[in-house]
Amino acid sequence: MIEFERFKLKNGLTVLFHKDVTTPMVVINTLYDVGARDESEDKTGFAHLFEHLMFGGSVNIPDFDAPLQNAGGESNAFTSNDITNYYDVLPAHNIETGLWLESDRMLSLAFTEKSLEVQRNVVIEEFKQRYLNQPYGDVWLELRPLAYEKHPYKWATIGKEISHIENATMEDVKAFFHKHYNPSNAILCIAGNFELEEIKRLVEKWYGDIPAGIKPARILDKEPKQKEFREQIIERSVPSDAFYYAFKMPERRDPAYYIVDILSDALGREKSSRLYVSIKKEKQIASSISAYITGSLDDGLLIISGKLNPGKTFEELDKALWEVIDEMKKTTISKEELDRLLIKIRTEKEFQEEGLLNRAMNLCTFELLGDANGINEEREIYQSITPKHIHHYANEILKQTNCSLLKVKAINNAE
Amino acid sequence: MLNRSQQPELQAIHKIDFVKPQQFDITSTVKLYFMKEVANDTARFDLYFDAGTVKGEKGIPSFVNSLLLSGTQDKSSTLIHEQIDALGGFMESGISFESAVTSMFCLRENVLPLMHILIDAIQNVAFFEREIDELVQDKKQGYLMNLEKVSFLAQRGFQQRLFHTSENYSKVANPDYYENVSSSQLKSFYRENYLEGLFKVVVVGNLEQDAIDEIIDTIGKWSKPTTREFESNIQNLPGNTHIEKEGAVQTAIRLGKILFNKTHEDYNDFVVLNTVLGDYFGSRLMSNIREDKGYTYGIGSMLSEYNKFGYFMIATEVASEFKDATLKEIKFEIEKLQTELISEDELALVKNYLLGQLLKSADGPYSMMDLYTSAQINGFDFEFYNKCIEDLHKITPERIKELAVKYLNWNDMTIVTAG
Repeated sequence: MIEFERFKLKNGLTVLFHKDVTTPMVVINTLYDVGARDESEDKTGFAHLFEHLMFGGSVNIPDFDAPLQNAGGESNAFTSNDITNYYDVLPAHNIETGLWLESDRMLSLAFTEKSLEVQRNVVIEEFKQRYLNQPYGDVWLELRPLAYEKHPYKWATIGKEISHIENATMEDVKAFFHKHYNPSNAILCIAGNFELEEIKRLVEKWYGDIPAGIKPARILDKEPKQKEFREQIIERSVPSDAFYYAFKMPERRDPAYYIVDILSDALGREKSSRLYVSIKKEKQIASSISAYITGSLDDGLLIISGKLNPGKTFEELDKALWEVIDEMKKTTISKEELDRLLIKIRTEKEFQEEGLLNRAMNLCTFELLGDANGINEEREIYQSITPKHIHHYANEILKQTNCSLLKVKAINNAE
Repeated sequence: MLNRSQQPELQAIHKIDFVKPQQFDITSTVKLYFMKEVANDTARFDLYFDAGTVKGEKGIPSFVNSLLLSGTQDKSSTLIHEQIDALGGFMESGISFESAVTSMFCLRENVLPLMHILIDAIQNVAFFEREIDELVQDKKQGYLMNLEKVSFLAQRGFQQRLFHTSENYSKVANPDYYENVSSSQLKSFYRENYLEGLFKVVVVGNLEQDAIDEIIDTIGKWSKPTTREFESNIQNLPGNTHIEKEGAVQTAIRLGKILFNKTHEDYNDFVVLNTVLGDYFGSRLMSNIREDKGYTYGIGSMLSEYNKFGYFMIATEVASEFKDATLKEIKFEIEKLQTELISEDELALVKNYLLGQLLKSADGPYSMMDLYTSAQINGFDFEFYNKCIEDLHKITPERIKELAVKYLNWNDMTIVTAG
């Protein structure tokens, strides 16, 4: 059980406090309800570029990192298609430095030309390092627009293309900040060994006078129901052929989300999973194969991906893969298999909750979903899932007409 | 009125409360370290084997490490994995130059049954031909994929030149590794380095003494006293090398030299110098090459440690057109540290940062255990970190400069680029 307290400031900032008497550190986690899905199609990669700029100095503090390091702390952030999350971890007695820094960059940024110029380059190098200069690195840049026709999940967090980042102007940056970075669009979680009253006082002190702003309305293009099988082949200079089957699945708030999560585990999470045993161990068609879900807030994807063994074809794989899927759709899974999947989930969750930072981040994420206490309800939801539920959603999700297939064909095999 | 341009007052760290793990003798040379202070139901145990890559020919040590759960005469590999999964265990296995480790993450109620399954699997590997063939094929695929990465190519070239005088440390994978792998070689490495090579056990979790006794009892039957020996006096080959990779949009840079580990008298102070240069977000290298010039997504320096030595390395991936400019800036930053005194402010910041990081490294039972074992490798206790704190409070700008001159001579560096 993760205990927490919740309070709200007049300007709309939601604050969660999680007390942990064992830690000498404090975590200050700030989730902004903005991600790549909130970008316009001709200015993609912006939420992420902006995350970099948040470290380029704020209105009253020229340098974000140095004062935090001086307090013995460190900070980082990540952007997804759904959210942007910032965290500071520092010795508990220096908590005010963290609040001072985080509240000032919520108030306003410095917006220097130099920072924009440099971070544009840094992000372009990140684009190259992670997406272009790695074998299979650009797969998601291809798979997203295949699987999504309308919804902004069709572009990756890093952006559709480098030019969108190159063309970002100071005007764009400022507009983005004013629209999305305000107290009513943020959830703050503080975790550490404090009293609630002290946290209330400190948060009010540093965040109380930040103007409320307006929580931006989110009206996204709804992804139409997929009705046809989609397939695309790309050729790349990579050592082996690779495959990505992407099935549409329910959004994060839908109870069926959890069922499909287990379904993906049954198919391909561990070395005892169905696809791994059949396609890698028994038939030896693939050198690797796994199934997982993207975990996104709006309609997500269940992915089955892997690489072919030399001499094996996409056709052999396809046949064997659908055999496993058809079996999954025909019969219900045994209690024993389900228990195996559930205890892995329980163990994994217990480890996630061991870390202070994870607890703070997850509380924010669940609060965004509607209620931070969701963190404590998840286990019961998983435990309530039955073989029948899984059987139903296997038939619902694992259909040709709900599937987009990306094949990466290896050319000029280097050997 | 709130003064937002003024940083709130800071408090320095003078003391950290370390919690020492309990220590048990399994045999005269094999020790078990146990940390009971875990607040929730998680647990972990690690088995360390004297089976690092330097101990064997070609890819043998790495193949054997990956075959530990490949099946026994009684159980297929799939059955072993099913049994582990049914108890919610997550297994990780890793290999470095000087050791191999198998770790199990699980709920504390499942530690003992998982340990019995794992030990049975590891003690009775059957080395089925089919499993060997499958593994070697997978490793070969992985190798071919790595060849596409400039970071891998640079790291590999760096390793060859860094450990220039040592055959064991400088050897790197080549296509030959994946042809005609002999099962008798695998088996003999396995017998010598796993069946007789267990040298350390680590347990973290809120377990009763009975459970620890059972672990000691089970493993006690297995472990044989081992004496471990390691190379020292390895020398790097200074100078520049470029590895061409067609079509690469970035160039990977690896630069460094052989240095020392925790046992050296200059170690603690060198850690401070290394941090100033490249081991935190505000470091000289990050500030100059990422935050000022934007040549890279990241650049860092590190000190890697082994039983008898260590090495210093700077690593980055940069836009290919900025390769030479980046090398020039790295040289500039090193020379600046050798010729100009660091300001009191910057040094104070780095000290505070390091103290905060040490406090964080001691937060929670898992971090605490890792912190302890990393000192224990060199025969130290938590006293080592208390000494670190003391030394940190004492270090001066003159000392930083002195160490930069002593250890960061540009002409001593092995420099490898790939792109």
